[in-house]
Amino acid sequence: MSQADTVELVIPCRPEYVGVARLAVLGIASRMPFSYDEVEDVRLAVGEACTHAVERAGSSEAKIKIVSTVDPHSLVIEVTDDVPAGAPVAAPVDDTQLLADGVDTQGLGALLMEILVDEVKIAAGQSGTTVRLTKYAPE
Amino acid sequence: MNLTINSRIPSETSCIMEVEGEVDVYTSPQLKQEIVDRADAGTRHLIINLAKVEYLDSTGLGVLIGGLKRLREVEGNMALVGPGMRILRIFEITGLDKIFDIYETEEQAAAKEGISL
Repeated sequence: MSQADTVELVIPCRPEYVGVARLAVLGIASRMPFSYDEVEDVRLAVGEACTHAVERAGSSEAKIKIVSTVDPHSLVIEVTDDVPAGAPVAAPVDDTQLLADGVDTQGLGALLMEILVDEVKIAAGQSGTTVRLTKYAPE
Repeated sequence: MNLTINSRIPSETSCIMEVEGEVDVYTSPQLKQEIVDRADAGTRHLIINLAKVEYLDSTGLGVLIGGLKRLREVEGNMALVGPGMRILRIFEITGLDKIFDIYETEEQAAAKEGISL
């Protein structure tokens, strides 16, 4: 593995496919010299990035593209959705029952990503959002 | 299904919920519904056994926080039991281990919550 290899995956931007992205990333992260915990961290961070897209997509026909670039020094995963800016966030009807005081799960997701990987960059545009996650290989 | 929930109801006001599998954006509505249903049915003291949970994300945390708030509003409580190292770490890095009462075994949780198993 002397050069950068790229793996691309496109999934429907729907809850039932987020697990597919996590599984794929688990395989890719396992190719890096990461510990078990670090691989799990990457899996959870990517899950959070996809969840962020799914929660904004609602019932649209949006897609998520996950581009993973592996090189000897780092794993960079870009999670890009095509959910337009300002799309209404999907809220289950019974949210008022359980989340009366408004639990900010998107804030929790962002916090988790920040802690789990070395760099998080979020670029939100009119036609979609890209979350770029970087995890460096141990020295 | 990626998530299995098995609820035991030792008394009118208590419930032990054993959760198995992955709690994520796809499955967390199922857990949320189960907690809401139990609370509506009169459960005030809820023990959630996480020993067989392999994956938990922010949506799962959100459901647990929502359930805790709801039960505390009616003078009840929610206790968590037996999370594995990975799951416990997620509570620790988000600071939520200070919000939830987390026990190693159902027996310990039941004793603290005053529930007879």
